[in-house]
Amino acid sequence: MEALLEKALQSAPQAEIYQQKLQSDQIQFENGRLKEIETKMQSGVSLRIIKEGCLGFAYTKNLRTPEDLVREARDSLLGRVEAPFDFPADPLPVALRTLDPHLMELSNTNLVEEGQRICEYLNSGLQAQVNVSIQRQDQEIRLLNSRGLNQSLRNTFYFINASLHFPGSQAGLEQHLSGQGFEIFPEKKLASLKELFRKSVKDTRPRPGKMKVLFFPETLYALIWRIQAAANGKNVYEKTSPLLNKLETPLLDPKLTLYDDPLKDAQPMARGWDDEGTPCRRLSIIDGGVLKNFYYDLFYAAKLKRPPGGQGFKSGLWGGETVALKPKPTLEYLYLQPGDSSLEGLIRSIDRGLLVAGVLGAHSGNILNGDFSFGLAPAVYVEKGEILGRVKEAMAAGNIYETLKEVVALEDRAHPTYGGTFPALLLDRINVAF
Amino acid sequence: MSFQHLESILTNVRAEYADLRYEIKKEVQFVFSGPELTQISTSTTDGYVLRVLKNGGFSNVVFTEAHDGPAALTKAEENAQLISRFIAEPVRLAETEVIRDTYAPHLEEDPRAIALEEKLELTRRYNQIPLEREKIVTTQIQYLELVREKWFINTEGTRIREDLVTTRLGGTITSQEGGLTQTVRVGRGGSSGFALLRNQEALFEEKTALALDLLQAEPVTGGTYSVILNPNLAGVFTHEAFGHFSEADLIEDSPSMLEKLRLGTAIGHPDLTILDDPTQPAQLGFYKYDDEGVACRPVSLITQGVLTGRLHSRRTAARFGEPLTGHAVAEDYRFGPLIRMGTIFIQPGQTPFDQLLAQLGDGLYLIGALGGQTSGENFTFGAEYGFVIKNGRRREMIRDINMSGNLYQTLKHIEGIGNDLELSQLGGCGKGQTNIRSCHGGPHILVRDIVIGGR
Repeated sequence: MEALLEKALQSAPQAEIYQQKLQSDQIQFENGRLKEIETKMQSGVSLRIIKEGCLGFAYTKNLRTPEDLVREARDSLLGRVEAPFDFPADPLPVALRTLDPHLMELSNTNLVEEGQRICEYLNSGLQAQVNVSIQRQDQEIRLLNSRGLNQSLRNTFYFINASLHFPGSQAGLEQHLSGQGFEIFPEKKLASLKELFRKSVKDTRPRPGKMKVLFFPETLYALIWRIQAAANGKNVYEKTSPLLNKLETPLLDPKLTLYDDPLKDAQPMARGWDDEGTPCRRLSIIDGGVLKNFYYDLFYAAKLKRPPGGQGFKSGLWGGETVALKPKPTLEYLYLQPGDSSLEGLIRSIDRGLLVAGVLGAHSGNILNGDFSFGLAPAVYVEKGEILGRVKEAMAAGNIYETLKEVVALEDRAHPTYGGTFPALLLDRINVAF
Repeated sequence: MSFQHLESILTNVRAEYADLRYEIKKEVQFVFSGPELTQISTSTTDGYVLRVLKNGGFSNVVFTEAHDGPAALTKAEENAQLISRFIAEPVRLAETEVIRDTYAPHLEEDPRAIALEEKLELTRRYNQIPLEREKIVTTQIQYLELVREKWFINTEGTRIREDLVTTRLGGTITSQEGGLTQTVRVGRGGSSGFALLRNQEALFEEKTALALDLLQAEPVTGGTYSVILNPNLAGVFTHEAFGHFSEADLIEDSPSMLEKLRLGTAIGHPDLTILDDPTQPAQLGFYKYDDEGVACRPVSLITQGVLTGRLHSRRTAARFGEPLTGHAVAEDYRFGPLIRMGTIFIQPGQTPFDQLLAQLGDGLYLIGALGGQTSGENFTFGAEYGFVIKNGRRREMIRDINMSGNLYQTLKHIEGIGNDLELSQLGGCGKGQTNIRSCHGGPHILVRDIVIGGR
């Protein structure tokens, strides 16, 4: 990589190399049976150069001829993409625990046996389609630049998802587990999944209207997505965010506190520096309902004359190839502060309402405005604290700047899930159509 | 790259079947955010996907570097053997013709031969159209050119070289007034070359006007409506509400869905016929061979309301005992193939648009797709905008429209099928992998009892 950097510096005064190596196994059980094992052995390099205030970029998965990569990056200078920043100097080292060396020592047979155990447990005494997926990966990232930055990290990631699907549908209830290393899926979690499934399998058709809605942690990303979009430095710079001039003003219910913290290494994939080499730090987005900060990568921090906070990650909305992506403002490590009610207590407190265990169409609608109109799949109907069954074709709609002003309560525990670590969230007077 | 090199990787395979796909992917991409070009990349990359069928277990390994070939082969054999120990029934592959072919699509202007300056200039010019208007606050306009040069070999003797060339130019236009922001999609693209991106000024003018008009539209009121969907929405509806459940791999492990989706089942209105046809020339969804070397063919999925076909890979065709269709498609060199729709559409009927409006009476006319999602039985998708229809006449414009329906009921509720047909130029289906060539369309259709979310 040093040789590539040297070669790049013959074409431009500033250069940055991002290298990724990744090994992963993905194991899929469908309807209680092992279906697929996919192994990936991947590598890749991306190169950014800055010349005369302009940014050039190219990537390849397979670096055979460094000259070609440098030439492609140089060709892209033609676009005269502005580089209003310099690559950063080496950040101060932060010691983070990101690796469990035992994870990759396990054989796929060990993982298949764990999946099999979960399938058998969920299948017993239940008429349901059981799906389990297991993923493990070992990733190395190296970042070098012409200002002497030279960082590398290795992290491991283990994820397992168990789901029970309703008849005639792929909507279902799920529980998952993630960490740096292998962990036996606790029976308690599986038992509560079965219990909820049993109670919700019956079809019900309550009357539509405004009601309480309890969003399970795995669905909260859909609401928080709207806040992320509005606080994104890009949308602030382009003046499309509805939150311009709203910093330090109460925006949401005082029970809501949302922050990004890449340094918390109790969760997997913790980071001390982002994909541009900027040191990471805890960043408060909403504190007691008050909007505290927007977030930036190097580009938008420079454009808005703000210090970059280490939120520049190569992430794509729909996944995407890491080395092919340009860093952009990203909240990869979100935490929503828990409240003080147990999940069971929250359910018992619902006079008339829905539990939402999955949303459809989180990506549709006017996200920046905070509008949402989700299909709920599944939605489970609760009356007087009792689960009565599931509701098909339910839709919940609203605007987060109205609905999140009135939070009834938050669960007393946060769970690592899609988009962050979130507790369940109980809202009131949500408009539901069936 | 040569077939000999690929053969050398497969030489030592000890299995019933193996195939290897090697791809070089060439990508030119740039993005204007408002007036500024904020991203540009010209890249070339490559990789391998190896699949092995051993003792009835089928597994794939994806690798980047040629020297990992032997390790990948060992891993694929191990995984396949492991699967075979746990699997209910051994995997079989449907028999297919051994093919030796090289196929380069006919292009109206090969984008690879056009200078980057010209691509930048064209995109800049289109991007300027909305930006010149007051109340247009930003745009996000991307040019994407993606070339997949594919080599495919298998142990049965098939050797295929095929190129897929996709170009597209488009993105979003955002208007703002007071506290209200509205975003509209715009774009052109396809598989037939650069020429189709030229002369699109009128399209950008039209979408700019729409973004401005939407500032005056009212949010829709939630409830259950009869609706007319325009061809673009009818396409998304077909894709989300039904298309995914014609993909054999999505339903094969769901006994209850299999039961409900048996061929021969009356699932839709008697006038409804749905086809998937990747052979439609010059369409976004066009290809000749899928990513397991099977020539693709048109499939009649629903014929006059009755389920008559399904999309298959070699594995699922054998498992279901149904004909091969050539629909196993991968995003690129980083993925094994999945079953994907190619060009799915509702066959046009007899009813002119005016007559559909009269038939609707009171309801909504919905236009422009905003993406959708399905959970099997239920699906949700968004419309860009629409109009309230009273007594067959167009009234006020509406926005913020998301609708949902039920697979087993909504297809029976299609009560009117227009006599027009339009196929989409921009794809983007995200079933595990992204398929930018996912193409869909149809005529205007009239559907009863659609649930619309609203405040």
